[in-house]
Amino acid sequence: MSVGLVFLVVIAIAIVGFFIGRKRAVLSVDGDVRKLHSLPSYYGQTVFIFSAVPALLVTLAWLLLQPLYVENQVSAKILPGDIVEGSSLELVMADVRRISSGLDSLVASGNVDEDGLKLINAADTDVRALLGEVGVAVASDVQANVFTASMEYRAKTAMLKTAMAVVAVVLSLLGALIALSRIHPEYRARNVSELAIKSLLILSSMVAILTTVGIIFSLLFETSNFFRMYPAKDFFFNLTWNPQFTGGSDLGILPLLWGTLYVSFFALIFAVPIGLLVAIYLSEYASRRVRAIVKPAVEILAGIPTIVYGLFALITIGPMLRDYFAQPLGLGASSSSVLTAGVVMGIMLIPFVSSLSDDVINAVPQAMRDGSYGLGATQSETVRQVILPAALPGIVGAILLAASRAIGETMIVVMGAGAAAKLSLNPFEAMTTITVKIVSQLTGDTEFASPETLVAFALGLSLFVVTLGLNVLALYIVRKYREQYE
Amino acid sequence: MYDAPKLGANVEQKELKIAARGVQVFYGETHAIKDVDIDIQAKTVTAFIGPSGCGKSTFLRCLNRMNDTIDICRVEGDITLDGEDIYDKRVDPVQLRAKVGMVFQKPNPFPKSIYDNVAYGPRIHGLSRNKAELDEIVEKALRRGAIWNEVKDRLHEPGTGLSGGQQQRLCIARAVATEPEVLLMDEPCSALDPIATAQVEELIDELRTRYSVVIVTHSMQQAARVSQRTAFFHLGNLVEYDDTATIFTNPRDERTESYITGRIG
Amino acid sequence: MTDATSGSAMGKPKSSLLVQDDRTKRRNAAEARFRGYGVVAITIAMLALVGLLSSILYNGSSAFRQTFITLDVYLDPAKLDKDGSGDLAKIAKVTTFGYAPLIKKSFEVEFEKQGIGVEGMKPKDAAKMISKEGPAELRRFVLANPDQIGETLSFEFLASGRIDGYYKGRVTMESAEIDKNVSPEQLQLADQMKDAGVLETKWNWGFLTRADASENRPEAAGLGVAILGSFYMMMVVLCLSLPIGVAASIYLEEFAPKNWITDVIEVNISNLAAVPSIVFGILGLAIFINFAGLPQSAPIVGGLVLTLMTLPTIIIATRASLKAVPPSIRDAALGVGASKMQSVFHHVLPLAAPGILTGTIIGLAQALGETAPLLLIGMVAFVREFPSAPPEGFFDPAAALPVQVYNWTQRADPAFVERASGAIIVLLVFLLFMNAVAIILRRRFERRW
Repeated sequence: MSVGLVFLVVIAIAIVGFFIGRKRAVLSVDGDVRKLHSLPSYYGQTVFIFSAVPALLVTLAWLLLQPLYVENQVSAKILPGDIVEGSSLELVMADVRRISSGLDSLVASGNVDEDGLKLINAADTDVRALLGEVGVAVASDVQANVFTASMEYRAKTAMLKTAMAVVAVVLSLLGALIALSRIHPEYRARNVSELAIKSLLILSSMVAILTTVGIIFSLLFETSNFFRMYPAKDFFFNLTWNPQFTGGSDLGILPLLWGTLYVSFFALIFAVPIGLLVAIYLSEYASRRVRAIVKPAVEILAGIPTIVYGLFALITIGPMLRDYFAQPLGLGASSSSVLTAGVVMGIMLIPFVSSLSDDVINAVPQAMRDGSYGLGATQSETVRQVILPAALPGIVGAILLAASRAIGETMIVVMGAGAAAKLSLNPFEAMTTITVKIVSQLTGDTEFASPETLVAFALGLSLFVVTLGLNVLALYIVRKYREQYE
Repeated sequence: MYDAPKLGANVEQKELKIAARGVQVFYGETHAIKDVDIDIQAKTVTAFIGPSGCGKSTFLRCLNRMNDTIDICRVEGDITLDGEDIYDKRVDPVQLRAKVGMVFQKPNPFPKSIYDNVAYGPRIHGLSRNKAELDEIVEKALRRGAIWNEVKDRLHEPGTGLSGGQQQRLCIARAVATEPEVLLMDEPCSALDPIATAQVEELIDELRTRYSVVIVTHSMQQAARVSQRTAFFHLGNLVEYDDTATIFTNPRDERTESYITGRIG
Repeated sequence: MTDATSGSAMGKPKSSLLVQDDRTKRRNAAEARFRGYGVVAITIAMLALVGLLSSILYNGSSAFRQTFITLDVYLDPAKLDKDGSGDLAKIAKVTTFGYAPLIKKSFEVEFEKQGIGVEGMKPKDAAKMISKEGPAELRRFVLANPDQIGETLSFEFLASGRIDGYYKGRVTMESAEIDKNVSPEQLQLADQMKDAGVLETKWNWGFLTRADASENRPEAAGLGVAILGSFYMMMVVLCLSLPIGVAASIYLEEFAPKNWITDVIEVNISNLAAVPSIVFGILGLAIFINFAGLPQSAPIVGGLVLTLMTLPTIIIATRASLKAVPPSIRDAALGVGASKMQSVFHHVLPLAAPGILTGTIIGLAQALGETAPLLLIGMVAFVREFPSAPPEGFFDPAAALPVQVYNWTQRADPAFVERASGAIIVLLVFLLFMNAVAIILRRRFERRW
């Protein structure tokens, strides 16, 4: 029984339980629903909840724990001798999983039936070729022990899956029966059902926490694996980034960090003045007509996905900067450059800066403006000498948020900044950033357990810490600022 | 109805500072001020009184064109300052407001130091040639604002750290620092406690020696205490304008009398 | 007031209001300059928007047109079904290469009939004007209709990328000289064929319906799999993030006690909204693929990752619209004896629904354009097969619209730039549609209390 089917069966039982429960509640008072503590539907709901929730929770837990358990059991079968030079137990286990799912598709394709499968002897059958027929590629010839392990893996998984289905259905039925037996007129069905719903609500709000925990956990876990293979000191202080397929890579974060900061610097140089001036003009000067056109246009800029900006950098801004600036000035011949990525990212950040600044500027009380105008200040004097200083903390917060966005931005730099890790000052040169390298290291062909791949997690963790720090600081400043005027 | 200020009224006739003729103000569709004529004298405290929403604040804001900052507001009629039409196309409201300063209902010091608050006006209008002169202007303004003694040791602390009454006196000091000729005050004491109010009122009385002061107030006692001339507004009309003593003791219009005796308002 | 006045107040020279003094003039000039800066800033922002959109439109609109060559092909039994048995298995043994001669032959026939041809050009070279996809399509047709063998049928083939590029201005006679994939003779021939009505550039549905194609046949590349993949992901995102987001918001807004746990959740949500999207990709790779063992490139994983990214947006929007429902409504419901839960679900939630919907659509639009996290969970893979119908289809490999764009930009053939920009246009049209719906909903149901 597949998981989907189990799920459907459980839900079906619960739905049937709902109607029986409602009916039973009505019957228990001979149709006079006024004698019930709650509306009849609530009785139905309690049955539904008792029947569905435990069964589904158990199924979920089962699904998560089953692979761990099976793998633990099966990996005992693999002897140290089965692990080829340069490989590891984890890689062999990955093969085991792939072979066993390959066997599944073999059976499904009808080439071999269950009994035929049992007759296969890895020693004299070419399992690799057999699996190749159903489109499952195995890296090397399958060893006897690995094959038995795979067979066992497959058998155990199938057995446990059936067991799971049985347990889930039984639990569901049991829950329905218990809930049904509790139905009587005084039963506080509404309170029970509301409690259950409230728990669901709480659970949902925990998803956000779980996400954060998941992020931190996955980053920390793989980063610690990385640091076991590659010294942390070298990662943070090595001045070269030069991954090799054959090992012996230099994986220093500094050139990437430099590229990241350099690109972000240009992005902010471009976005902050323009965004700020747009916000000031719109809130202090623009007529209603101008505002009605410009504001939505700026919002459109904000709604455009970053991939579009990336393409813009790649096919328009990059070649333009190269042909009109870099080459005539003799500063480089690459269309992807720090400046390309910086300018395009700056465009992306304009609406971000301007809408945040708009908020903080509007939070400055009208009384400030009146005070200044009352003294005979012009509008620009008021803006520059009263409003901006008053809004400064908020604007600083906005800039920090924009910086955090710039540092974490991926697609624009992947398509616009280049891939060469360098410590250079020339903005027309291609450089690379942390996010670019996360993408290239994790989408490359190197095996997962190598430092060249795992370094992406260390980079991710660094990125996460930096952006989180900036955000927390920015939100703190903005909040303090808001309090000042509330 | 109100008759134009009579010659030979029983206070000495002073120089005319502001004259308004046939002033109408519209807020979008609302007719907020209806055909107001008034003459405001130099070196006199003139009080505008009347029930809430009667238009007294609106009219006050016409006198230094603060209403310009509100998009939907439209002003008709003539207002002259020293004989010059302040709504003339050639007039820059910025220059006008340097001559006609304003103090607001709620103290609104800028989030800057006390010194910078007061120095703001002189700086933008270029009233000083150097730091020493500016220091002098600031000190003088703070003295005129009757707050010098309280703040002279902490001029570089933020103005927002002062108490409400001190803040309002700081705002008055800030307004007088630009050497205005007229000072408009829009309920300057409504956000203050009685002690602070007394201090501000005392200050207003001193200011009269140099400036023409126009004060909008809710409190009739205050009008009686600080002003020499009083105008009573009702529903956008100027009902009566006369010497303060006359208005409070012998009003001619029955609406004025009702207001003063507390029957309307 | 120019040189006024630290001296006595009374010593100030009288100045007329009607004349602007020098200082005021200077100040007004500064004012105008400042305004000018604002105008310049707005102009730059607007130019950026216009430049961005027009560059995409300029490069991409040609992706919706494609050059086709219509030929009558004789499905020669001698080549396709040698023993005449009609056995499908045997017919299937003829590879794509076996079909190329048929097309070559039909070129010869066509040239004779129309009387066109370029001196010294062999039909073999002419056949190269057809996309490499052509024989494959022919084979697919024959396998689907084996009874048509022996007939002569008219087929519409894609012209090769270079010929197509010739009609879109990407390829010229000069560039053809040095290009080994196309010769000037072929282009001349193409012009003749165009005049004869054999070759035609027209609207290209294939761009929206075909699957991706390999590096050397850009003319056959389409967005079908990517659109379907994105659609599947949006379904997953909608089905998960809406209920979870609404439930979480209801709890936080209506039920949560004010304590440190609630504070932690709130801070957490606002921080999650600002976590770089690529970090969510790492999360998806580590948790959903490596730990939970879900398949790579599958819409379900993409959907889950995007759900986690969209949740903060939906929660923030939902809470705002719940907050906008005045407390009097809650009091009224509680006053007639409804439970807190009933007051929320019967009264508050329906009133907040338009706002929630708007927020959800905007969140979905954001998710639709998101690229970086999808790269990490393997959606960059080259996928030719359409995923099957849901729910199994959620686990099949698929592409996604923005990732397809990225994919195409990584390829060498310049024809893919056109494809990538065209894909962006499709993406933007979807986004425009979603945002328009959100705006209409907001306008239609906006309520002021």
